[in-house]
Amino acid sequence: MKILSDIAALVTGMWITWKHIFRRPVTIQYPEEKRTPYPRYRARIVLTRDPDGGERCVACQLCSGACPVDCITMQSAEDKDGRRYAEWFRINFSRCIFCGFCAEACPTLAIQMTPDFEICKRDIMDLVYEKEDLLIDGCGKSPDYNYYRHAGIGVTQPRGSGAEEKPPVDVRGLLP
Amino acid sequence: MPKLIIDDITVEVAEGTTVLEAAQAVDIPIPHFCWHPALGKAGACRACAVKMLEGPVKGIQMSCMLPVQDGMVVSTTDPEAVAMRRHIIEWLMINHPHDCPVCDEGGECQLQDFTIAAGHGIRRYSGKKRTHVNQDLGPFIQHEMNRCIQCYRCVRYYQEYAGGTDFGVMGSAGRVYFGRFQDGELESPFSGNLVDICPTGVFTDKTARFRARYWDYEMAPSVCSGCSLGCNTTPVARYRELLKITARKNEAVNGWFICDRGRFSNSAVNDPQRPRTPLVDGRESTRDEALEALALRIAETEQLYGTGSIAIVGSSRLALEAALLLPQLAQLTSAGALCYFTSEEERATTTSHLGLLSGGTSASQQEIRESDCIVVSGCDPLQDAPMLALAVRQAWRDGATVYVVGDGIVLPCEFTAVAAVDAVPLAAAKKPVLICSASCNSDHPAGLLVQHSQLKLAVIFPAANSYGAAQLAGEQGGVSLERAVASGKIKGIISVEADIPAHLLAGIPFVAALDWRMTETVRAAQIFLPTTAWVEMDGTSINNEGRAQRFKKVMNPGLPIRGLDPAGHPPHLHRTVPPGGEAQPAWQTLALLIERVSGEPVTEPFSGRWERLRGLDAGSEGVMIHDL
Repeated sequence: MKILSDIAALVTGMWITWKHIFRRPVTIQYPEEKRTPYPRYRARIVLTRDPDGGERCVACQLCSGACPVDCITMQSAEDKDGRRYAEWFRINFSRCIFCGFCAEACPTLAIQMTPDFEICKRDIMDLVYEKEDLLIDGCGKSPDYNYYRHAGIGVTQPRGSGAEEKPPVDVRGLLP
Repeated sequence: MPKLIIDDITVEVAEGTTVLEAAQAVDIPIPHFCWHPALGKAGACRACAVKMLEGPVKGIQMSCMLPVQDGMVVSTTDPEAVAMRRHIIEWLMINHPHDCPVCDEGGECQLQDFTIAAGHGIRRYSGKKRTHVNQDLGPFIQHEMNRCIQCYRCVRYYQEYAGGTDFGVMGSAGRVYFGRFQDGELESPFSGNLVDICPTGVFTDKTARFRARYWDYEMAPSVCSGCSLGCNTTPVARYRELLKITARKNEAVNGWFICDRGRFSNSAVNDPQRPRTPLVDGRESTRDEALEALALRIAETEQLYGTGSIAIVGSSRLALEAALLLPQLAQLTSAGALCYFTSEEERATTTSHLGLLSGGTSASQQEIRESDCIVVSGCDPLQDAPMLALAVRQAWRDGATVYVVGDGIVLPCEFTAVAAVDAVPLAAAKKPVLICSASCNSDHPAGLLVQHSQLKLAVIFPAANSYGAAQLAGEQGGVSLERAVASGKIKGIISVEADIPAHLLAGIPFVAALDWRMTETVRAAQIFLPTTAWVEMDGTSINNEGRAQRFKKVMNPGLPIRGLDPAGHPPHLHRTVPPGGEAQPAWQTLALLIERVSGEPVTEPFSGRWERLRGLDAGSEGVMIHDL
């Protein structure tokens, strides 16, 4: 019976409509009312420090290589102690799409996403963040990790005294 | 010629070829570390394992050690071979420091590539890593021994190929160490090639330390401008800074390597003192203003001192494009002299040596490497053209006898000192080569060429494009500036990348200069127009054998971003032309000047017999100009 199925369709549609009228709305009155994002929310990017207070970023260019919109640029340099660091580090947030690829690519866990999504500016040039705007005084999400303790090149500790290292070999030794 | 099957593809290669090379011939990549085309095989790394399914040998074999034979059936994808290679890589990585983020080789590292290709990602071995202490190898090369995988490429190159004695391998078993006996600068003038030859990051370029990554490099095929040999290079730039220069393979010229002088010559391009702005009487101006002033002054000088009072001066370091436009400019300005050389002696010796080469008697570096009798006559290749000395060494390693005429000459091989070229048994040699220099007072080899028809000549010229300059000077009736000034008629000099000594400029009321270096001529010039260095332009130069080679633009001209802003980072400014980016190739400035004087636009520097150079491919072996 065609008429019965038509009525059923109408009633179903009206049922869904009326059901939603009595539901609690999902919208909130932003900005008067604010919602707390999840800790892993992907918004404003920061550069973190290792547990010893040193800059984690070694300016390896992996984040800028991974960035699909090319919003990260940097210049690496060598510090007096042989540490590789970013001479300058720039993220253009007017271009950033907050995909998180940079944080995923970062081998030293330096670059991390924070839940702070409210970054609006009157002047678009103010959305170009330099290293001093990005660098925070904390470890972010991985408080224990210090890349240089594991990379066997001797910057934070003498060569051969890292966690997974034997002391340097004596090349002139004659023992087998 | 043996025929074999590799991964279902039938390959026919020459006798003596290895399975690895045969596979490469049909674009099948096989991982390898110790094998290198210039060094051959060592069988040290075991990474190139393949499985032989049929043929004289069967089972897992090292493809770099195995010469091809008829009936071989090779599989590179056999599970057994794949598992073998995966295990080898895992072993090689056991002691690796896992420091790729702070390693300059990262991104251009063979070990990285083949580790990922083998599927090894997580270190399973929980034992401790072997470590080494690094050495200070001087200002150019950084040493990081923890990254070493013991492929022996460095020591094979340094001792066997380049003849160095101060670098070698020490220790035994798992403690094998590649370095010098004690800290110190590497003595070989070819030590920079360690950077290119090391498949991982043990040797990296200190001058480009911690600067950029491979995927950000601006690169293009280029030609070294350090000496007249024209070795092929790939310069690397980033943020308008020339970071480093790497060797580019050209079998006919430099082979796989370049000398240290060419490799570590990037500071001249990055020099903050480089003149980058057009100047009129010391005042900064635009290119148009400077060109207009230049055209005006030329007319004024001619009015004041009569026609023929202007000298157009090129040089032997000027690229061919600009050198070809000089005669046109000379004609338009009715110049009194067209000079490609400043000193009369340089003009005379270069032109006379050029005359010897025009019959196709010039020897390429490849011909030197394949020669059986080499005479170095009165010149020092290590000083004036280092790669020739390396080529001589390769010939010597293959059994050639090397004779040296003259005192105080050092070569990286054994040689016999003789009093004169006549004492050398040239007639008995099959492919003899005579190396001489156009700037030294060696015996002129014209007579020898007549006596020995098989003799080839390698002449060392003073600069990168000396051949081209001498060729054009001969064709266009160029004189030397020294002679032109001595005539007393010259009252104005237009110098295009020429190094004119102060005493020649002394009595000249009007000097204009086009250059990219801060020379005495630029300081003396009333009108100055900046030109681009060779890495900032497309151009052509002719090397010592008469081979025209194209070099491509690597980077845009302009002040390097480094040091531009006191805040440390690049300025927050939008602009279309970078600061100091007004420079353009010398030939384009000359074309604009010619257009201003004649009203006719010049769009193409190559015309007439040079037309064939228009489409010259920078990746090719180059074109011999007597074939044009």
